[in-house]
Amino acid sequence: MSNIVNITMVIILLSVLLSLASNRLIALVKIMALQGIMVSLLPLLLEHHSRMGSGGLIFFQVMILIKGALIPGLLYVALKRVVTKREIEPIIGYHASLFAGLIIILLSIFITERLHLSLPKGHDLLLTTAITTISAGFFLMMSRKKAITQVIGYLMLENGIYLVGTALTKHAHTLYVVEFGVLLDVLVGVMIMGIILHNINHTFDDIDTDHLNLLKD
Amino acid sequence: MLELIFILPILTGLAALFVPANLGRGMLLIAALFHLQLTIMAWFGQLPVYTSDFFSAEPVGLLVLLLTSFIFLCISLYAICYVRETEMENEPVFHGCMLLFLGTMSMVSLADHPIVLWIAIEATTLVSAPLIFVHRSREALEATWKYIIICSVGIALALLGCFFITLSIDIAEIDVPLTFTSLNRVAAQLDPVWLKAGFIFIAIGFGTKMGLAPMHTWLPDAHSQAPSPASALLSGALLNCAFLGIYKAHTLMYLAGLGEFSSNLLIGFGLTSMLVAGIFMVKQPDYKRMLAYSSIENMGIIAFGVGLGGVAVYGAILHMIHHSLIKSSLFLSAGNILLGFKTKFVEHIGNLAKFLPKTFVSFFAGFVGISGLPPFGLFISELFILIGAIQTGHPFCAALFIFCLLLVVAGAAQIVTDMSFSENIAEIQGVEKYLRVFPPYALLLTSILLTVWLPDGIYTTILNTIKIIGGTIHG
Repeated sequence: MSNIVNITMVIILLSVLLSLASNRLIALVKIMALQGIMVSLLPLLLEHHSRMGSGGLIFFQVMILIKGALIPGLLYVALKRVVTKREIEPIIGYHASLFAGLIIILLSIFITERLHLSLPKGHDLLLTTAITTISAGFFLMMSRKKAITQVIGYLMLENGIYLVGTALTKHAHTLYVVEFGVLLDVLVGVMIMGIILHNINHTFDDIDTDHLNLLKD
Repeated sequence: MLELIFILPILTGLAALFVPANLGRGMLLIAALFHLQLTIMAWFGQLPVYTSDFFSAEPVGLLVLLLTSFIFLCISLYAICYVRETEMENEPVFHGCMLLFLGTMSMVSLADHPIVLWIAIEATTLVSAPLIFVHRSREALEATWKYIIICSVGIALALLGCFFITLSIDIAEIDVPLTFTSLNRVAAQLDPVWLKAGFIFIAIGFGTKMGLAPMHTWLPDAHSQAPSPASALLSGALLNCAFLGIYKAHTLMYLAGLGEFSSNLLIGFGLTSMLVAGIFMVKQPDYKRMLAYSSIENMGIIAFGVGLGGVAVYGAILHMIHHSLIKSSLFLSAGNILLGFKTKFVEHIGNLAKFLPKTFVSFFAGFVGISGLPPFGLFISELFILIGAIQTGHPFCAALFIFCLLLVVAGAAQIVTDMSFSENIAEIQGVEKYLRVFPPYALLLTSILLTVWLPDGIYTTILNTIKIIGGTIHG
């Protein structure tokens, strides 16, 4: 049982590294789909969630559907209409990003190990994965210029927070209605970002955030 | 039932997206009236709660709700006239989103479950983004993008904070429902480390939405690009809702015996916001941006007051009420100026007193109010906060507080007098309509009325609210 959990977490970590190294936007969306599915699967595999009613099962199916199919699908549709398919000049290069990703993993392990945080037992790697995903999401948002990559960074951040929320905390408190609300917010958020993305593309013939520099003091 | 307060505007809002614009205007006003009625019924305890796991009518929430509802009524009156005079490509979206905005803000004020509170606050971001984008200019596009990205990321951090608080229950191994009411009861047993971490993330997350510096960067853009009724709502109602999130988390921290930690954080954020706002306000070329920076300053004052504790908390709550009334009035007046002169730049506006006399009175009175001069309530609230700062032994903070206030008044005074009396070459292109002029006056008069006579119901509600975190009225 714990092997599967570990494999899932390793896949999540790998997806984080892959996303930092990939320069094709379509590939990035596909990686996000994989990561979304893994993040939704992880709570199912953990032991303290094993006794789950039918309501829980349906919720996790919906979650896999939204995180693994619906949100990447929306991004894919948005990307289809955009002229440029590649991130040409990132603010931080791909090799440097990959290296930064490795450093982030090390730092997350350091934080988890050294701070002696009082965690539920056996969840150290989980916290490491969560911190890595959150920080890498931030890094992706700051180091890329395309607006769509920023949305993907936001999603990765959200995935990391989700790991903390659904996997680390016990399920007694968080009712499915509430979690579904959070999921709905993220979905609608991506939809609205997609609409604005479409408008940015329509106005500037590109989705580079460099064009957005009219307002300043 | 209590949940009707947010279900009603959300349903009407969804319907308004699909009906013709004329009908939408009517729906806006009628929904606002019904909402105010429901809110007053909630104040008198006439509405039972059905989903007590998620929602409850708490004193501070009711206060924000009443404020939101009243301001929305005034703004909807104004908006009906405003949208008729401006060109909007998609008017139903404006009406629909205004109502959805009201609904989600009401949900924030009634939420008792931390994650439901988060859902509602994130929902306010999502439904207000189309409002900012309504004019579809390049600037509006940029403002909307910044708003949605910065706020979504910020609020996502607040979700992390909420999960940390959940974790602190797990670690302490107590079994309570996850609501602020029940958490407050067991606060002392919660795990302090995770609670602190949770508060930091919540303060940063909801602080982004509230406009606390240095996370305020979306605010001036969004407030200046949104159509004036939406700016008034953003500034007068939305910022309070985000403050409510921080306030509830602070209450929990105080009861857990970590009040000093959260207070210091709030004082720091508060003073930084005031200072940043003061610096950017001087020589600001755009008057709507100037008002936006003033909102940042006032949110800083509120955070500062709550952080100080004692008398200052009373001042902070008063400040919240009067700031909402005066600032939304100012944004509505600014909308009148925009319709009159068709420009947002101070240098193209002159002789307001001659061209738009009625707007001039409300704009100038609003300026007097926001500067903290009598007869408006901000004078009293700022005085309370100042007394609180000295009583609790923060003389340096008090000095910085006064310095920032002076900076802001100086910056605003220059802009407002320039607009009102200078002989700038300006052309007037619109006339003053009664329906557009009346709401700013109504909001200002309410502020004066509440200064001289605070109804007993509201007074005791404020006292009940602040009692929990050690706030008093008698030094």
